[in-house]
Amino acid sequence: MRIITHTCPVCGTVVAANELESNRVMKCPGLNCEEVLRFGDLSEEAREHFIKTQEQYQI
Amino acid sequence: MKGVLLSGGTGSRLRPITHTGPKQLVPVANKPVIEYAIEDLKEAGITDIGVVLGNKGREEIQEILGDGSKFNVDITYIIQGNPLGLAHAAGCARDFIGDDDFVMYLGDNILKEGITDLVESFRANDHGAGIALQEVDNPQQFGIADINESGSVKGLVEKPEDPPTNLALIGMYVFSPAVFDVIDDLEPSWRGELEITDAIQQLLDNGQAIDSHLVTGWWKDTGKPEDILEANRLVLEDGQRAIEGEVGDNAEIDGRVKLAESAAIESGAVVRGPVSIAEGTRVKSGTYIGPYTSIGPSCTLENIHIENTVVIGDSTITASGRIVDSLLGQGANVESSDDLLPKGRRLVVGENSQLKL
Repeated sequence: MRIITHTCPVCGTVVAANELESNRVMKCPGLNCEEVLRFGDLSEEAREHFIKTQEQYQI
Repeated sequence: MKGVLLSGGTGSRLRPITHTGPKQLVPVANKPVIEYAIEDLKEAGITDIGVVLGNKGREEIQEILGDGSKFNVDITYIIQGNPLGLAHAAGCARDFIGDDDFVMYLGDNILKEGITDLVESFRANDHGAGIALQEVDNPQQFGIADINESGSVKGLVEKPEDPPTNLALIGMYVFSPAVFDVIDDLEPSWRGELEITDAIQQLLDNGQAIDSHLVTGWWKDTGKPEDILEANRLVLEDGQRAIEGEVGDNAEIDGRVKLAESAAIESGAVVRGPVSIAEGTRVKSGTYIGPYTSIGPSCTLENIHIENTVVIGDSTITASGRIVDSLLGQGANVESSDDLLPKGRRLVVGENSQLKL
């Protein structure tokens, strides 16, 4: 199972794609970081792969 | 080598304590469980640590650990979100790990002897992974490893009816970055998780050598209240006497008692170690604190007899009774009803609380 992540460019916190997708737009979960992270920050190829196989990423 | 410290999970077996915080921050001998893991990693020479967070307690864990500087380590946070398995958690750390080997450590576990031997054993040869094992009496209830005479793993089997050995996996692993390609090819198990045992088995099937290290000292998974109490006993047993706080003239202190600088044991109180009393706590006259008890910060105790118990902190405990084998959450108060009518116990008890009266 391919695991896709995105790293906050400001604080370096790594966020799994399932977290980004469920929020679509979110404040970075790094403490006191104000950066806004978006599912759209992932590459188009990564987003398409995630959406195609989305059921794997849900418990 | 880097470290990956897993700090997700719901802590459901530790409710109600975990209604208000993550299980990794429950104190053992007045120190959050997760700090023991940080210390073990640091002692093994690992100072670059990725802390994997789930959906619960993210802010609290970040507030306690910060950027790691107070522990002389560097911490990067990795948000796993949904609990999709240990192998998924490892996979989320791929960019953080890069081309390094790494230790994966469950953040609610405590290990007496640390992980230095596990790491050195892994480094001694060209291993794909290293696993920590411990002998258990009930191997049918664990993931079990079959090993050869040199300690290399021949196979893993989950909860076997006919176990090949009594050597259980205890949740401490070392991996080479080869594990990430294996994780990419894993499919979720019947419970919807990417299983780390499947990843190790796949490394074996690919011809990678898997090292094992037998842990002979104690190891505790602190997932349940009784586990917290046992871990507290084990850690206090190894502690030293350190009286830094104020002690009244007629207070009696025996054995290994750790009293924080701003804490006080007043005249007329009796404390028999091993005991840990945190900062700002006052132990007043008529109180007996017995062995294997940790009293957290900013508590007041008076008249109570308390033993083999963990009080997390900010509690007032002034009932004239006996408390044993108990875990009291933050801000929980136990006061006397002797002067109240009608006679009887008065309880304000939260969801999932357990009382034996």
